[in-house]
Amino acid sequence: MIDELGWVSGALALLSLLLVCTLAGRRVTLARAERRRLGAEERLRPLALALVDGGSVPLPPLTAHDSRALAVVLARYARQVNGAALAYIGDFFEGHGHVARELSRLEDRRAWRRASAAHALGGMASERAIPVLLKALADPDRDVAAAAARSLGRLRALEAVEPLVYALVDGRLPRAVSAQGLLSIGPEAVPRLRDLLAEAPAQVAAFAVDLIGLLGDATNAPELTVLLRDTSAEVRAHAARALGRLGAEEAADELRRALDDRIPFVRVNAAHALGAIGDVSAAPALARQARMDGFDPAEAAARALVRVSPQVLEAVAAEPGNWPHLDQAVDLARIQA
Amino acid sequence: MTDNGQPLILIADDDPDILALVSFRLQKAGYEIVQARNGEEAVQAALERRPDLAILDVMMPRVDGYEATRRLRQHEETKRMPVILLTARVQEDDIARGFDAGADDYVKKPFSPQELGSRVQAVLGRR
Repeated sequence: MIDELGWVSGALALLSLLLVCTLAGRRVTLARAERRRLGAEERLRPLALALVDGGSVPLPPLTAHDSRALAVVLARYARQVNGAALAYIGDFFEGHGHVARELSRLEDRRAWRRASAAHALGGMASERAIPVLLKALADPDRDVAAAAARSLGRLRALEAVEPLVYALVDGRLPRAVSAQGLLSIGPEAVPRLRDLLAEAPAQVAAFAVDLIGLLGDATNAPELTVLLRDTSAEVRAHAARALGRLGAEEAADELRRALDDRIPFVRVNAAHALGAIGDVSAAPALARQARMDGFDPAEAAARALVRVSPQVLEAVAAEPGNWPHLDQAVDLARIQA
Repeated sequence: MTDNGQPLILIADDDPDILALVSFRLQKAGYEIVQARNGEEAVQAALERRPDLAILDVMMPRVDGYEATRRLRQHEETKRMPVILLTARVQEDDIARGFDAGADDYVKKPFSPQELGSRVQAVLGRR
């Protein structure tokens, strides 16, 4: 019995040693591959810069590894530039067959290859990829659809605005992925988002409002202000939040009115927005909300008072029978002073 | 201005791709370049080399573009040096923050290298 145990422990020790050696070997191989990749990218950067700057540059013969490294550098530049430089990058990927190859990989029956192709197309600045990636948003595999959403954002595809907002709402894709795709499209997405305000269901409109708050500017404030009187509480709440983000001072009257909304989370967002705008005339209404309302709206109002009027906040907190949120807000105001 | 009469441009960005791209474009347009990888290095390089213009990324480690601009404005040697901010942040208060810090212009990412070259020329021409 003891002999058998000795054999078993010896075998286990040998197995562990083999495993450690394999892991160490793997680590060395990966580190070497990474160094080789970084070396190739550094070596090929001048060529990539010449391509981005001027378009038609005679390419020296490249190994498959170097060709991949050049594509990686150019894909990185595709995220950073626009105008003629972006068009030159697109021409390179089209002209050297990269786009055609990835488009055909997007038809592959294996999901991981389709996802990899959808991912790669996002860095190729090719208009031709947009309709195919829009189709890939409905791919049965979630990874493929997510890669397509990310790439449509990187390609700044305006056609993707509506499907991405719907994907955000119905949860077909991880929300972070759809939202990142939309944010990558940038302020050019705002007109399409405005179209959704009139036509789409309330939940979709609410997300569109949120995105206008992130991507828009002061010129969008009037239409968001109107939405503070929408029949959907979700739309009203998101409109208040967006107006706060835009710092829309002209919406202050309507936001003060929204402090009396019958839905608590609308009152929460209205208070936050008034705080972000710094509307001093809202101080009495915020003080009342901070003392009398339910916990969430009261806490939001106290936080808003930190920015709007620390003096009013101190006075309210000094009154007897207050909740701890007012003391916390006073502490915050003192720290920020 | 350098010894051979070319304007000297300071470029600060923590992203080596952007640093290389902007340097390449401006060198091609006939400018001399000095590079920095964060705001602290940028201020130091500006005080040592006295460039004719600085292009600063907003989001940099240690000292960001706003703070670097503010520091440049505090030194006699660099307080009149034009500064262009390169920014991925496009909300109005971010832009206002840049101008408050003392920037002369801003270019938002993604950007056109050719347009950046024209902005540099325009800002230098205004001096």
